Amino acid sequence: MNNTAKLISKELRLSASPLSYFFILGSAFCMIPNYPSLVGAFFVCLGIFYSFQNARESNDTLYTVLLPVVKSDAVKAKFLFAAVIQAIAFAAFCAFSLLRTALSDYPPYDISALMRPNLAMLGYVLIVFSLFNSVFICGFYKTAYKLGKPFILFSVFAFLFITVAEIVHHVPGLEMINSVETDGIPLRLAILLASAAIYAVSFFVGMSVSKKRFERIDF
Amino acid sequence: MTQTVNKNVPALEIAGLCKEYPKFKLKSVSFSVNEGEICGFVGRNGAGKSTTLKSLLGLVHPSAGSVRFFGLDVKEHENRIKQAIGFSGGAVDYYKRKKIKDIVSVTKTFYETWDDGRYKDLLEKFELDEEKTPSELSEGMKVKLNLALALSHRARLLILDEPTSGLDPFSRAEILDLFRDLAKENVAILFSTHIISDLEKCADRIVFIRKGEIVAAEEKRDFISRFTGEENESLEDIIVRLERKADDHE
Repeated sequence: MNNTAKLISKELRLSASPLSYFFILGSAFCMIPNYPSLVGAFFVCLGIFYSFQNARESNDTLYTVLLPVVKSDAVKAKFLFAAVIQAIAFAAFCAFSLLRTALSDYPPYDISALMRPNLAMLGYVLIVFSLFNSVFICGFYKTAYKLGKPFILFSVFAFLFITVAEIVHHVPGLEMINSVETDGIPLRLAILLASAAIYAVSFFVGMSVSKKRFERIDF
Repeated sequence: MTQTVNKNVPALEIAGLCKEYPKFKLKSVSFSVNEGEICGFVGRNGAGKSTTLKSLLGLVHPSAGSVRFFGLDVKEHENRIKQAIGFSGGAVDYYKRKKIKDIVSVTKTFYETWDDGRYKDLLEKFELDEEKTPSELSEGMKVKLNLALALSHRARLLILDEPTSGLDPFSRAEILDLFRDLAKENVAILFSTHIISDLEKCADRIVFIRKGEIVAAEEKRDFISRFTGEENESLEDIIVRLERKADDHE
């Protein structure tokens, strides 16, 4: 087992809050009729936040930097943990989206003023995750201690984004963003792919910035 | 790492370590600890002991100076050096609600030289129960747990920040006895303390720090012969007198 695998194992077995696993169920918000599914992505991030809180109370950072790993691996471990939870949640979002799409001709799913779980919505989920990684995790590593301000900041950005995402598909000409039919698939696929690229870039840039910030901190 | 330990160089060598805070300065701290040596790092509260120890592994960033473990620079060989040392801020104070066996099962995967047999022996010797959580242990038992973790990966150097603070006299005596046994196995120990009687009992070398500046760093017998003022003056009397004299000069 290499150090990366060991660090992920450490995160899952020692640092993680059980709420991080529980809030993966936020992905099931897709199945609630006339409810903004993207709020589920926010709850997934809230679950990860609880692990950061749990880790802080457990002196996890000090434990990690004293292990025979490079000091900045403590940051890498947290980003990888977030990525694991987000990947599981994204897979669950995909599964619920397929189920919801299969049921889209039947009440209560046949009519929805809010975003339907489709390719574009899955892309938006990745944008919410990107905001968490780049705003919350990066903000946390300014101090490796203060959680409140970066999480409030992330919450503001996330809900602003969710609001915009729910408005955009009502703009004339962009209705197909909210479709579950075959028309408009290229547009929705483009949104998903662009979001995936944003997620990847924000993950690696965020981790790099966080490592630099972390290296400057005196314990 | 154990294979790379160079017997001809000190286990730890600190040269010209400086650190500046708005109200405190660490002024060119230099000293070394040899293998099999117990080095007591003494000074009053706020003298710079913890800052120095934290600087060794980059937990605080010194503005100048160098730190070498077994002849290796800590910045270049961080991972390898950590395989060969045990560092503790005293008692285990992480994952207080996790069972010891769970903490250990994760910790040991990181160490190439982890020895399960030795770990079991140490659990027995220290009467530690793996089913307990750190929150259920007394302060003395927490220190012992930290030592058990460090010794199970065959650490060649232990760096301990005030390991005997807050312990009852019996637990302190046990820990100091253990230090002596470890030194016989050629383990180097650097421990900070403001309990001078601990140094009298087990230190081979004394590093005395005052207001961020090293006053003396030498073998205990040399320290005593250099600074003894009156006949039968104890080490505690000497250090307290040196502190007071310095206070009077300011």
